[in-house]
Amino acid sequence: MYTDRLLIIFILGTYLLSPAIIDWWSEGGRAWYRPYLIWLGLIALSYWIAKSKDVDGL
Amino acid sequence: MVYSVSELIAIAGGYLLFLFLVAWITERGWLPARLVRHPAVYVFSLGVYASAWAVYGSVGYAYQYGYNFLSYFLGISGVFLLAPILLAPILRLTATYQLSSLADLFAFRYRSRLAGALTTIIMLIGVLPLLALQLKAVGESIQILTGTDDPRSLAGGFCIMMVIFAILFGARHATAREKHEGLVVAIATESLIKLLAFGAVALLGLYGVFDGPGDLGEWLDEHPEMLARLYYPLQDGTWHSMIMAFFVSAVVLPHMFYMAFTENLNPRALITASWALPLMFLVMALCVPVILWAAAASNAPTPPDYYALGIGMVTGGHGAVLGYIAGLAGASGMLIVATLALSGMCLNHLILPASPLHQGQNLYRNLLWTRRTLIAAILALAYLFYRFTGANHTLVELGVLSFVATLQFVPGLIGALFWPTGNRNGLFAGLIIGFLLWLLLLVLPITYPSLQIPQLMELAGMRYQHGASQWHHVAIASVSANALLFAIISIVTPMSRAEKNAAEACAVDSLRRPYRWELEAKSVDDFIDALTMPLGPITATREVEMALRDLRLPRTETRPYALRRLRDQLETNLSGLLGPSVSHQLMDDHLPYLPKEEQGTSEDIQFIESRLEQYRDRLSGLAAELDGLRRFHRQTLLELPMGVVSLGADDEIIGWNQAMEALTGITSADTIGSRLADLDDPWGEFLTRFSRDANAHQPQQSLEVGGQTRWLSLHKSLVMGVGTAEQAGGQVLVIEDITELRHMEAHLAHNERLASIGRLAAGVAHEIGNPVTAIACLAQNLDGDSDAREQMESSQQILEQTRRITRIVESLVTFSHSGSVRQTEHVPVSIRDTVDEAISLLLLDPDHRQQRFDNQCPADSWVQGDPQRLLQVFINLLGNAADACQPSQPITIHCQSVDPYLEIRVEDLGHGIPANVRDALFEPFVTSKSPGRGTGLGLALVYSIIEEHFGSINVESPLNDDGGTRFIIRLPIHNAAS
Repeated sequence: MYTDRLLIIFILGTYLLSPAIIDWWSEGGRAWYRPYLIWLGLIALSYWIAKSKDVDGL
Repeated sequence: MVYSVSELIAIAGGYLLFLFLVAWITERGWLPARLVRHPAVYVFSLGVYASAWAVYGSVGYAYQYGYNFLSYFLGISGVFLLAPILLAPILRLTATYQLSSLADLFAFRYRSRLAGALTTIIMLIGVLPLLALQLKAVGESIQILTGTDDPRSLAGGFCIMMVIFAILFGARHATAREKHEGLVVAIATESLIKLLAFGAVALLGLYGVFDGPGDLGEWLDEHPEMLARLYYPLQDGTWHSMIMAFFVSAVVLPHMFYMAFTENLNPRALITASWALPLMFLVMALCVPVILWAAAASNAPTPPDYYALGIGMVTGGHGAVLGYIAGLAGASGMLIVATLALSGMCLNHLILPASPLHQGQNLYRNLLWTRRTLIAAILALAYLFYRFTGANHTLVELGVLSFVATLQFVPGLIGALFWPTGNRNGLFAGLIIGFLLWLLLLVLPITYPSLQIPQLMELAGMRYQHGASQWHHVAIASVSANALLFAIISIVTPMSRAEKNAAEACAVDSLRRPYRWELEAKSVDDFIDALTMPLGPITATREVEMALRDLRLPRTETRPYALRRLRDQLETNLSGLLGPSVSHQLMDDHLPYLPKEEQGTSEDIQFIESRLEQYRDRLSGLAAELDGLRRFHRQTLLELPMGVVSLGADDEIIGWNQAMEALTGITSADTIGSRLADLDDPWGEFLTRFSRDANAHQPQQSLEVGGQTRWLSLHKSLVMGVGTAEQAGGQVLVIEDITELRHMEAHLAHNERLASIGRLAAGVAHEIGNPVTAIACLAQNLDGDSDAREQMESSQQILEQTRRITRIVESLVTFSHSGSVRQTEHVPVSIRDTVDEAISLLLLDPDHRQQRFDNQCPADSWVQGDPQRLLQVFINLLGNAADACQPSQPITIHCQSVDPYLEIRVEDLGHGIPANVRDALFEPFVTSKSPGRGTGLGLALVYSIIEEHFGSINVESPLNDDGGTRFIIRLPIHNAAS
């Protein structure tokens, strides 16, 4: 099967964790850049996935 | 600083001209292809998503809805972070079937013109507010910077500029088939300019209004309400529906679909975009709160939507122009690409299906002008929407209308990619109900607040407030109703066979299993004739030729397999020109398959194999193991040292292995898909006869190929249908080439014959030798004892004859010895010297004294061998040549190295060798000389000696009409180095 399991786990994980993430983010106070840190983390993960394998033979 | 309208229009005109120059330079090929196809260009071109909404609207959105503004940027980032599972399948589909829009995709997947038309209409209406938003943003930004009163006429002027540039950028050619490299690079440049200008505005805020990040932090400490304003809206739970709307819009919005899929120049760039595009939007999103706070801190004199301009106006200088350029770049890029995409959709799904194609007219020119008119019409519609309704609403309200409209395509898209059960009835029902809810609950209340829609919603149990503030309720309600209807109706209503096939083709984890149906058209000319009626002769010929070029097939192609591929390619190409539904209908009407009952069907194995090759990297687990096994078996069959031909039930060749290629000299690419009988003779006739023969084994069949006889053993076996029961079986032919074996057998028989003759000769020589010696002694005695002249003469003749007998006996003895294995040691022998020695010996003979010999062997011609026996070879060959020639005719000896052999050619210009003698020339006692002149053992001896030296000898005669003979000897070369 072609579907990338890692990404499916990632989507489910994000969905399940989203309330906790939003809470953490809302309590940021002066650290208003917190959502950007999570975002940057996701970009790094995506970069790592793109580099580490030949995704779907594109 | 206050600007004049003309200054700002000049900036807009200059900016667009610059973009057009970039596009023009790219299309001219002045930019290196590596740069044009670089993933960064693709990533930046996708920045078209950041329209004026991103530059102006998102700041206003942040002002109004706090951190919810991030959903716009996170939506597209989420889509691209999931590119490998979400976008890659769409890219593959669009590339394979030449689908250039979402309407194309739906029309193809749901096999329905109506699906394409409905998608186009909803998309057009849904995107109008977003187009109007761009016009409004540019008009109002000019109004703010110049202080003029009427942004509407400014927006009108900008709209006209957009019509011109949209046509210049994307509608100079007729079809959407060619990639517009110029457009891609221009839009990428536009995104880069937008990013830089927007970033510069944020930096201006950070360092012009504040004194850097530290000062911003202190200001935030002093104004905690600004931070609270960001966080507060997060608590009301609209976050999820917002991010969903932006997530979906990033795929289905016409300009995004167009740039991401239709204009994709490099599929692998999608993987780069999966991290690079989110990074780009992260940078843009980072600028938004900084601009918001800087504008708030400096009391910018603009509405929140235009804070990007306000900062520049507060700080002075030309800072405001940066914001203007960023907004202009966002608006113009989006308008150009979206209008191009929408015009294509309208053309393919609204205009072409409604208007029949006329024969004889120039189809390409008609298409081009229709497209240009559509571009102007769409932009005019957008302007009218802005003028009559949009002008009274904020950018946020307009944007929200479009983003919720795009949500209606989600169920259909999920159905296309992941749910093969979804059908067109479900799609229609879902789309229509979703669209109506959107129109009724969102568009009408916003555009006509006097209508009493809220009561309706409250009846449905939804809390409603005026305006776009509660739009997420409408989004959830409409898309839920849409999805529910789509699912229920898809399950309860049946699906057509064509739709099932298309669904399988689209589903990400299934493989279409096409059948080998036979076409009515039997040649390329039949194709052109069939298409001439709907397309006209010029277009038909051009399209068929283009499809042939795409497939690299010749004009003379008649193979059924190739013709099926040609039909598929034509459908795909015409789909790029006319849209998938028109193209599909055209093919069904004019290039139909034979009725099913007139042909046996079997699966198109070749096509399935080529598809499996493409899917290779996507298989994992058991499927990958099975694929590995398939490859192993296939490779075994391919590399089997016997020729294997697999035939379908209709005698179509579906397998042709490497041994067959080597045997016949016909490549598998040329044979696959043709009928057995269509092969070039002699193979076509030979194999067809065998395939129809009742006998499954035919050993030792001879076949004349290129003037040479080949010996073949033939075997065949019936293959029962594989897979589903409805497929007919075929047969497999195995062809064993036994020509070498036959030659070897003949060679062995020849050697055996030589050996037995040698043994006979030894016995005869022994038996004759003794009496002849006795006769010779007696004759000598007689000669000495007698004085009588007659008696002396008689005894001399007896002696002469006995010497002759002795010579014959000696040659018999020599020949008989040559048959035995001699343990002589081979040493390096100079052929040049050996030939010279042979010539000098021959010149001693009075008969040959006048003969001309020409030894052209170079001094470095060395072989491994026995010098004495090689001398014997050349004496025999040169002697024979001299016997056949006049003294004036030269005999030449050439040498040349044919690694690992030295090739020696002995040529004469004599009378040549008769054909009946030539074929058995190396047999003992075979000679072309008159009786008494030759024993017929010389060449047999030469043959034996050459064999002993692991070489070969061949003869060519006659060389021309006058005769001539050439002996070609090959002996293992001796290298001085070795």
